[in-house]
Amino acid sequence: MGYEVERFVGVVDEELFCPICGLVLDSPLQIKDCEHCFCGSCIEEWLKHQRVCPVDRTPVPPSCEGSSLTSALGPAPRILRNLLSRLRIKCENEVFGCQTVTHLEGLQLHLNQCEYNPRRPVECDRGCGSVVPMDELTQHNCIKELREKITNQSLVIKTLSDQVSILQQELSDQRQEMTILKELVRSSASSSSNSLRHTLSLLPPLPPLSSASPSSVSSSQSNYPDEVEHAIQTSQWLSLLRPARIRHWGGIISTPDSILQSIIRQALSSSGCPQYLLVELMANAHERRWPPGLSVLETRQLNRSRYEQYVTKQVPGKQAVVIMASENEHMGDNMIVSPGMVIIFAHGVD
Amino acid sequence: MASLHITRVKREFREVVSSEEAQKSQIKIEIIDESDLTKLKGTVIGPPDTPFEGGTYILDIRIPDTYPFNPPKVKFVTKIWHPNISSVTGAICLDILKDQWAAAMTLRTVLLSIQALLQAAEPDDPQDAVVAKQYKGDPELYRKTAKHWAQTYAGAPKTTDDAEISAKIDTLLQMGITETKAREALSTHSWNLEAAVDSLFT
Repeated sequence: MGYEVERFVGVVDEELFCPICGLVLDSPLQIKDCEHCFCGSCIEEWLKHQRVCPVDRTPVPPSCEGSSLTSALGPAPRILRNLLSRLRIKCENEVFGCQTVTHLEGLQLHLNQCEYNPRRPVECDRGCGSVVPMDELTQHNCIKELREKITNQSLVIKTLSDQVSILQQELSDQRQEMTILKELVRSSASSSSNSLRHTLSLLPPLPPLSSASPSSVSSSQSNYPDEVEHAIQTSQWLSLLRPARIRHWGGIISTPDSILQSIIRQALSSSGCPQYLLVELMANAHERRWPPGLSVLETRQLNRSRYEQYVTKQVPGKQAVVIMASENEHMGDNMIVSPGMVIIFAHGVD
Repeated sequence: MASLHITRVKREFREVVSSEEAQKSQIKIEIIDESDLTKLKGTVIGPPDTPFEGGTYILDIRIPDTYPFNPPKVKFVTKIWHPNISSVTGAICLDILKDQWAAAMTLRTVLLSIQALLQAAEPDDPQDAVVAKQYKGDPELYRKTAKHWAQTYAGAPKTTDDAEISAKIDTLLQMGITETKAREALSTHSWNLEAAVDSLFT
């Protein structure tokens, strides 16, 4: 539907009127075959009733499947659009006091900014900060508005927290899988067929189960995430170490100096200890990092009787042992730290 | 802004008033109630060289909410004897008021089309079968009857005074028949008094 002729300043040519609404053309389209022009909205409405030109009854071809009915319509000729855009029109908010007269092409731009526009969005000045159309400002209720906002946000929060619980569940499942995988790797390294079979029975059908021997594991290790790869390397290395036999537990050096520590580090490194593990093990070569049951003289004396239960591996050629957490879970948290520790002796290790 | 049908009616009302045809008093349009522009009163003058010449025909015009996407509803208020207009209800059989309506048509073009219909009847597409049959079978009698109706109902000037017709109507009046019924019965039965009496009393 077009613009009321009364809104224009000066004479509007008869050619610029829509034959359907009888008003000045708004967003004009023409029927391609007969070139008659109409307001876009008017001609689209008419074509829903009859598919002929409203002026000369030229048939308007039906629209193709899927496309809109505008396919038989095209933009009005440029000259017509130019003539229209040059017309000078009064702002539609004249009744509210706007005195603006603009070219038709600039009307929309003006309306967006027109301070007399009753629908112009303004910010509530009573503190709630909502943006509402100007004519609704008097009925605007801050509490109602904010309450609505809170309700909407609660919904969003609920959705998000639901998502968090789902993700947490997934994470916990994956952790569990990881534990089982680690167990598998450990079992395969210690090549105890019974415990391997036990672990396999726990596993979901996820990891490649064919790889039982360390060599075949290492050939396919690039398929595993870092953590699994580390576990495989660790067990490979451990399987190469000899169990230690400690004749004299009293020879523990609980505060080895840095020279002694570097000698042991050297020996561990040349035994094939993975680098990441080496760092952690050497950090745990001093009583300040030992578990509570070993960390001071008093607790060491108290737990002395349990020392024989440790599973220990000898650092090749040195008076020192590696005690891995994975092999000493039976000792309990009081006696072992993760991933393991090094104990250096003055003497007494075979 | 008012709805489209009202906006259009206002504009078309002005168009009819300022039209050349209105200047020559050939057509006219009047608003019955300022607060309801969907009900209008139209007038067309019977065109020259027709039985309707000089008659004033009042039309009832109703504008639907869907105007101008659908045609206005127009019927004759003034009684008329014409093949395409019902002699009883005033309903008009005119293609542009039905499936040949186009949104660019206006009340002015509608009134002019109705006037043209009075000039050139379409007996092969009749609204009133009795009138159409007479029009084709006895054109002279049709003209005589149509002219009589125009003089009686539309105020057409009485150029001839047909004493025979008046006498037949008077006869029926004396039998207690109303004048309108008497005229309809006589017109329908080709002014055969006996046939008209038979139709009224059986």
